[in-house]
This record gives sequence, structure tokens and C-alpha cells, in this order.
Amino acid sequence: MAKQYDVLFRLLLLGDSGVGKTCLLCRFTDNEFHPSHISTIGVDFKMKTLVIDGIKVRIQIWDTAGQERYQTITKQYYRRAQGIFLVYDITSERSFQHIMKWASDVDEYAPDKVQKILVGNKSDEVDKRQVATEQGIKLAEAYGMDFFETSAFTNHNITETFTRLAEQVLAANKKDLDLLWMSINDEFNLAALEEEEGLCDSVTGDQRKGCWC
Amino acid sequence: MDQSVAIQETLEKEENCITAVQCDILFDKITESRLLGLVESAKEHAIFIYTHRRMAITADDVSLEDIIPVSLDFAIVEVSSPEELAVVGADTRVRVSYRDEELELRLPFGSNSRLFLSEVNRAWSEVCKSPIQKPKFEWINKYTNAIRGHGVVKQTIAPLGIRNIKLNQHLETEKSLDKKGDLERENGSNSGTQKSRVYSSVESRGIPNRDDRDDLVRSSSHTPSNKAQILTMPQFGLRDNLIRCELLKNEELYTYLENYSFFLGTYNVNGQTPKESLRPWLSCTLDPPDIYCVGFQELDLSKEAFFFNDTPKELEWMQAVSEALHPDAKYALVKLVRLVGIMLIFYVKKEHAEFISDVEAETVGTGIMGRMGNKGAVAIRFRFHHSDICVVNSHLAAHIEEYERRNQDYKDICSRLQFRQLDPTQPPFTIMKHNVVLWIGDLNYRISDLDVDDVKELISKKDFETLHSFDQLKRQIDKEAVFDGFVEGEIHFQPTYKYDTGSDMWDTSEKCRVPAWCDRILWKGKNIKQKHYQSHMALKTSDHKPVSSVLVIGIKRINGETYKKTFEEIVRNIDKMENECIPSVTLSKREFDFKDVKFMQHQAETLSLFNDGQVPCQFEFIQKPNESTYCKPWLTANPPKGFIAQGGSVDIELEVFVNCSTAPELNLGKQQIEEILVLHLERGKDYFISVTGNYLPSCYGTSIHLLCQLREPIQDMPQETLRELAEMSGDENAENSEKPLDIPKELWMMVDHLFRNAVKQEDIFQQPGLRSELAEIMDCLDTGIPDSLPGSNHSVAEALLLFLDALPEPVVPYCFYQQCLESCSSASQCERVISMLPQCHQNVFNYLAAFLRELLKNSASNRLDVNILATTFASLLLRSPTKQDFAEKRKTREFFQHFLTQGSS
Ligand SMILES: Nc1nc2c(ncn2[C@@H]2O[C@H](COP(=O)(O)OP(=O)(O)O)[C@@H](O)[C@H]2O)c(=O)[nH]1
Ligand SMILES: [Mg+2]
Repeated sequence: MAKQYDVLFRLLLLGDSGVGKTCLLCRFTDNEFHPSHISTIGVDFKMKTLVIDGIKVRIQIWDTAGQERYQTITKQYYRRAQGIFLVYDITSERSFQHIMKWASDVDEYAPDKVQKILVGNKSDEVDKRQVATEQGIKLAEAYGMDFFETSAFTNHNITETFTRLAEQVLAANKKDLDLLWMSINDEFNLAALEEEEGLCDSVTGDQRKGCWC
Repeated sequence: MDQSVAIQETLEKEENCITAVQCDILFDKITESRLLGLVESAKEHAIFIYTHRRMAITADDVSLEDIIPVSLDFAIVEVSSPEELAVVGADTRVRVSYRDEELELRLPFGSNSRLFLSEVNRAWSEVCKSPIQKPKFEWINKYTNAIRGHGVVKQTIAPLGIRNIKLNQHLETEKSLDKKGDLERENGSNSGTQKSRVYSSVESRGIPNRDDRDDLVRSSSHTPSNKAQILTMPQFGLRDNLIRCELLKNEELYTYLENYSFFLGTYNVNGQTPKESLRPWLSCTLDPPDIYCVGFQELDLSKEAFFFNDTPKELEWMQAVSEALHPDAKYALVKLVRLVGIMLIFYVKKEHAEFISDVEAETVGTGIMGRMGNKGAVAIRFRFHHSDICVVNSHLAAHIEEYERRNQDYKDICSRLQFRQLDPTQPPFTIMKHNVVLWIGDLNYRISDLDVDDVKELISKKDFETLHSFDQLKRQIDKEAVFDGFVEGEIHFQPTYKYDTGSDMWDTSEKCRVPAWCDRILWKGKNIKQKHYQSHMALKTSDHKPVSSVLVIGIKRINGETYKKTFEEIVRNIDKMENECIPSVTLSKREFDFKDVKFMQHQAETLSLFNDGQVPCQFEFIQKPNESTYCKPWLTANPPKGFIAQGGSVDIELEVFVNCSTAPELNLGKQQIEEILVLHLERGKDYFISVTGNYLPSCYGTSIHLLCQLREPIQDMPQETLRELAEMSGDENAENSEKPLDIPKELWMMVDHLFRNAVKQEDIFQQPGLRSELAEIMDCLDTGIPDSLPGSNHSVAEALLLFLDALPEPVVPYCFYQQCLESCSSASQCERVISMLPQCHQNVFNYLAAFLRELLKNSASNRLDVNILATTFASLLLRSPTKQDFAEKRKTREFFQHFLTQGSS
């Protein structure tokens, strides 16, 4: 009984405009791919439920505007994230170089415990590749992150990437979650008791109390 | 306050309002309070929705508006919101749907709401769990006729239900056939409830607490509440229930049937001990059965057994059974349950043991005083693969005339026998909640309306069919008085009661009982075939003969792969549903560019929001960090927040207006017309709207000091030069190539114009100018085109006043203000203060005073007097750095008066 809870995490997609963040999200949640690029202006989110270790993990994935001029605002969303995807486009050397900047922003604005994962998207574009897989691996190693090359177009590694980050976040928060769950449970029972005064007679106790947790 | 009492008063006797809660229903545009009651009748539940007058105390205070049956077409889910996640103390939002209709509710935080939701949930999961009993909801009809046509539940566009889940579609046809008995309900047009309420009620929709929302861009510390954001509690398990319900409905997709043979045996042993092998009874089949369920009655008739439920015979008979099981297979004893003399033993073939789970046993006594264990039932439930099976062994009331008592015993057993559930949030399992119910025992029904001899005659002719038509059980079942829905196979064996013990002779005692089929085997459920149904004459220990039956039952087994697929599909669909319910709008434009923005000149553009989402939404422009407002002061969005119905749209005016307080920084280029607005949808996304533009600098809002250094019109100056000059202005000694002007040329142009044209102008400085002319005058001052000032005298006069008003530092600088007040009574003192002003300010002051004195000389024609001018100008020349009170005002007037009367004194 004590383990029966749902968990909700916020994951954030970061990276230059055009690297495919919106497409990754769309592929993951709706299993769809829309080739047109309408740059995200603002922040958008979608929900997805995964089952990890028997725990239903609901993840809320935030897709942000990549453009420079919105970054002062989008940075404010970092602190609510438990996990961050740093996305570049393997056909764009520039987007790969910018990962450094994104990573340092994350260090500055996101919570210390935030989990990160490096994603090289558009792996299907073999002919236009500018960033070698080894470069991605190296960078990820330097940052101590996991690394995936993905394609929103062919659905390559999409579920794997999202699941991996969710697993990492779950692992990183496991202790807190267990503690929190216990404390909230207590809180609830307490509140229930206080409010229940005077009602006790009409409600046939035990049976019902059980269902609030 | 328990409002269920008021609801109860509106109901019929056998209907019961379990719990009630007051909540808000969220309509497209408005929120209204309703009272909800969960009403139960004959194990069926429905949510009754009432409008109510106040805190409802009696039936007069409530009026029934609609009813939502808690059926398989019912669903309830929590509407989660990114901002409100797991905030302890937050209201709960739920979406209730029935068929294609839905309703969004907001329940206040508290145990009352929790209780209500958990009860609804319990009722709902019960429905989901009873695949063999479809609710009929006939009791609701009388209400629905009355409310027909003005229900509150609206037709949904995105039905939350289950209907749009594709994998379900092939079941649809079958389902609609089943629904004939269901309540038919016209869904009322909702016009009745939308009423003519006005838009203004947006305020009352309870826009979530600012703090919660601002968290979006603010909160950073790692407080516990911050952590709490990552946890959602399955507060009411609504989502889980939806998944469970969907899984159940789609069972056909991931299960397949496999046949297993169940051996059922019942034997009333009349208190005897086993004296002979039970093999002729238990091993009568060719192949070993997969499962044995063996029941006994009257195991022990002693007082000890009756009072202490203790008997050595339990073991004896169990051993006798174990020894008599089919020799060709190995069996494991799973469970034994006994109530006094009623015992049930459950064995399974060893290889199936691992697929048996959730085994529970219960007993119910219906004997002496309706409670004692001399009569009653024992039952074992278990799950075999994916089927829930319940086996009941009962010994019902005796005596030929007591058949109604037997019917009653059956009903009591059904209602009182409950298996506990491991998960306490789930309602207890009753007998009828199982996929398969096997009912065996000494049911004690007799043969009516025939003499002993007639009975024996029919038996000897083996005319069991005729005899059966006099069987009480058959008759009671035909009358639907008992064992509703149960099936019994044809009886091809002679009555099993009553024999002389140790023989096959009919009862020869005094009582000379009429032979009867007391011992029976019945079943309820799908995919069950009877292989045999017989009695076993060879056994002679008791005055009854044992009966056996082999049933071949199609057991549901799960195909792991398709189960996983189905589960994922369901979760995906729920996610999708949820994603579709995220509020969303399209914006007519993301970027707004305002060209050539001028001082005091209003510019506006329209931003249209179209609600393209599946739900109504609430929008608001929200603050960014470290900013106290949602945008810069020169920009406004009108309206800054509001509500858009689904499919509706709203026009928002983005207005740019530069006034005296915002002009100074824009003039110097310290600020630009540049802003990003964050448009936030409650429970939804954020949109960024960028506002850009260019501002044309103006002498309005530019300091006297700086203007004195400008020999050219301000708009001819590059912005950097302006900024440089402004930065130097603090430094009096700064090396300046050119001698500054005595007074700003713009001031001179206006005063000179008035001096030459308007000294005799009636009501000068009293009458307002024209807006359009004012704009032309400002343009002229800022661009130098045309050469001379356009417009009427009144317009120029107003332009002058506005110029003084817009000065970032007034003519008498703020730091001298206090001194002025203190010296206001003495003319010489006042003059001393003025002599201390920075040179250019002093020049402007004296220049204006001289001009005004000149005007006063012509007071006969322009009708001005000292008082009027002192009042008008003092407030512009001497501005308080803080707020001015009335006394101060008087003093500033007194101060300035000295300078207006100077010449004449
Ligand atoms: N070939 C290929 N194109 C992709 C892939 N992902 C995204 N794109 C394209 O890249 C462009 C930008 O994608 P988008 O998701 O809007 O980028 P965002 O600005 O990071 O959100 C779109 O035109 C997509 O069609 C991919 O995996 N392979
Ligand atoms: Mg995007």
C-alpha cells in the first residue's frame, strides 16, 4: 500500500531553434511527425505516462522557445524541471557548439539535482551529418551525461531517450519521494482526523478511512 | 454540515443518499454552485445534481436538475493542472462523463470532498467489477421524466469517455444491445443553465491564487512544498480506476479462453464418520479433473461442533477425500473452510497451483436465530489465471413447507457473504462479483404436491422429467424467486434423499419422508458446459447419496504481449485525452511593431486569441521575474485577463502610450520600445508576444539642461549624442565646446509666439487646445518644421503647460522645493531661493515670470488675474517630490505670487 503512488516529473527540452525539440515531443507523445517547422514561441507542454519499476510515472514535458531573445524568460522555467534534454542537430555543427552555452545556463538556473541527457537529433540525415557520433559521446562523457542519437523522423531511440531520463530522475528522487510520501500520508490522516470530529458517528469508520491514501 | 439529509428527503424510501457535497460546476462562461448527492438504490448508484437555495437543510432548499448514473458508461477523472499539482489544500477538479456528455466540477478541499469522491469511486469500481450483472437503473426513470430537457450535463465535444478510444469500437454494437433496459435520457440542451449571465463572472471563477501561478517564473528555493510538485497522489485513484475499467472492457482483446474441468461434489453425511472409500464418487471420471471442490453437510451433529465449531471429523473426512481423488494426477490442497457441519475443500492439480491466487474463504450462518452455523454457507473464492471464481457450499433450511425460508437463506448468504480485499480502497467482493459462481450443497428443496407413492412410482418408471416438474427448486427458479441467473443441468438420477442408512432403501422410518433432490449443483457464468451430473448410489454411509458434476469451464488467460499492448494503448489514449484537454489558443500575431511612437500619441494594435482547444480557457498576461507588472508602463493590454469559451475568441488591444513619466528614458534611448509579454493560460501553455517599435525623441520629457545644449531640433540629433550630453549634464564643469542657450529654444518659441499673438487672448491658459493641433505643435518643436508654430493660441498655451509638466526635473528642481515652502511668506526670501537655482533653471523661471506679468497687464482683455496664473503655474513649476497636500499647495501658490506681483509693487 505504501508504495502506491503516482509520480509526476517535469522534463524540459532545450537546444537551439530548429534542432527538432518540438518534433521529438510530438513523436514521443503522439507518435506523429510533422515536417513543417513552426518555431515554438512560448512554452508548451504535454503529458505522458510511463511505468517504471511498477510505478506509474507521469511526465510533463516542456518544450521551450529556442530563440535567443526569449531566453531570459525561458530560463525562468528551468528551475521547475527535474530533468533536462540538451538537444542538438547532428547536421549542425553550430547547434552542437551551443550545447556548451545551454549546459552552463542549466548549471546556473536549474536545480542542483537536475538530471541531464544529451541528444543528437536527426540521425536519419546521414549525408548531411556534421557532428560525428564520437563527438557526441565525448561531450556527454565530459559532462557525465548519457547520450543518445535520435531521429524524430524515423522514431529512432525516442522512447529510449525519454525513458532513460525519466528513470534517472526517478532514481535521483527516490529517497525524497519515499519520505515525502510518508509525510504527506501523515498529514492527510491528521487533517482527516481533525475534520472528522463530529462526523465520526455517522460514518462507519475504518472502512472509509482506508481509502484516502 | 451534512446536506445529504436535505437530499434524502427528496428520495423514495429504498433510496439512500450515501454522501453529499457542495461544489462548483464549471460551465463555459460561468461557475455555479450545485449540491451533489451519491444516491444508492438496489446496489446501483447515481449522482444526483441539485440546484440549491442556501446551505440545504430541507427538501425545499434543493431542486433536482440532473442525474448521472454510475454505469459502465460513466467515468470520472481528476483534471490535473501543472500549477496545482499535489498542492495540499488545493481544490480538486474532476471531470465526470456519462456517454457523450460531460461535466467539470470543482470540489473544495476537505474530507467531505474526499469522502464523496472515494464513495463515487467505490461505486464506480463496483460497476466495473460486475461483468455478469449489468445495472438497469430503472429506479431513476421516474426522476428523469421530470427533469427531461433541462439537464445540466452538456454535450461534450471531446468525450472523455471511453467511446473515442478506438480499440473499443468493435464492442460498441454488442454493448448497445445490452443497453435496452438502461435509462434513456435525452440530453438536455444546456441553454437553461447558461442563462443570461454576463461575462463579468469571470472574476468569480476563482482564478488561482497568484502565488501559485507566479511560481511559474519565480520560486526557486528547495522548500518541501517545492519538492511536493514532483509528486501527485493518487488522491482518489480516479485515473487508476479509469485504466482498470478500460482494461476490463477490452478484456476480449488480451485474453483467450482455455477449458479446465472442475469436479464438484456435495454430500450430506448425516454426522457419520467415513466408513467406506469415496472413490466411487470422487474418481468416477475417466480423466483426472483439474480442480476439485468437495462439499459436505452435517459433518458433525454434536453439541461440541455446534457450540465450539470444533470437530475431529474435519480431518477424517478430509483424509477420506484426499485418498479418493483421481489416482492419475497429483493434487494440492489449496483451502479448507468449515462452519459447524458445512465444509468445503478445494484441491487443484499440482501443475495449475501456480496460477491460483487471491484465495479467500468466508462463512455465513443462517441457522438458529438466523445466525447460527447449523445452517448457512461456506465459500471459497480464488482467481484462476484471469478468471475470478467463487464456490459456495450451502445447507439451507429443512422441511418441505419451508421453501420460502430456503429462498431467504439464499438471499441472506448472497448479501452477507463478503470476501475482504487486499487493497482496502476497493469495495469487498461479494459472491455475484465473480466471473464464475459454482453453488453446491444440500439445498433442501423438496417435491411438492405429490404423495410418497406417486413419487416412488415416477422414480421406478425413471420418469425424472415429470418428477422434476414438482421440484420446489425448479419451481422457485422458474418464478425467479431464487438463484437468479443460475443454471442446473438435467437430472437423470433418482432423488438423493432419504435412504435408510447403509442401504439403497427409501426411508422406512415413521416419518416416511417423500424422496427429494436435496443435493444439487448449480452454476452461473459464461462458457460453462456440464460433462456429467449424477448421484452415487454405491455410497451408503449416510441417509443422503453424494452427487457429483464435472463442469468444463472456459477460463480466461492473458496473452502477455497483447495485454501489454492493450494497457499501453489505454494509457496512451488517456494521455492523449489529457493532452487534448490542455487549454490552447492561437494568436493572430506573435510580433507587434509600433512605428514612430511619439510622446502622448496613442497607438494600438489588435491581438486576437482564438480558443482552438477542447476546453474553455482562462488567459492572463503574467509577470516576469523582478518585474512588478506584466509589462512596461508605456504598454497596456486590454483586457489583461479573461475567459474564452471553447471555439470562441477575444480581441486584446495592445496599446502604446508614452506619458511624462516614461518619456525621459525613451528620449535618451536608455529604454527602447521593446517588450515580451507572457500570455499564460490557466492549466496550460505560455505564449510569448514580442512588442517592438521605435520612439521619436521629443523635447517633452527632456531636461532643461539638455535642451539648452541643443541648437538643432531634438529629432535631428543622433541618440548617442543625446545620451552623451545628458550624462555630462550632471557635471557642471564639463568642457563644452559651445556656450549653452539661456533657455530651451522650444520654450522660447512657445512663449514668444504667445507674447506676440496672445497677450490679449480671452481666457488664455484657461481654455483647452485641440488635440490635433497639439500634436502638430510638438512635431514642429521636435523637428523644426514648419518654421513657425502652427495652431491656435489656446493650443500653444496648452503645449506650453504640457511642456512644463513633462520636464523630468521641474523648473524649480525638487531639491529646492522644501526651501520654497519655508520661505513662501517672504518675497525676498523667495527671490533668494530662485537665485540659487542652476543657471538655466533660473533663466527659465525668470523668463516665464516676466511673461506672465506681461499677461497680467492685459487682464482687462484676457481676463486673467494673479490668482488664476499663480494656481496654474505654481503647480507646474514647483512640483513636490512626493505627494502634495492642500497646505503645501497653498504655500507654492503664495511663493509664486510674489513673482507675479513684483513689477507692480
Ligand atoms: N530529418 C529530420 N528532420 C527533423 C527531425 N526532427 C526535426 N526535424 C525537422 O527539423 C525542423 C525543426 O524541427 P522543430 O521540432 O520545429 O525544432 P525546434 O525548434 O527545436 O522545436 C522541422 O522542419 C523538422 O521537420 C529528424 O529527426 N530528422
Ligand atoms: Mg519548437
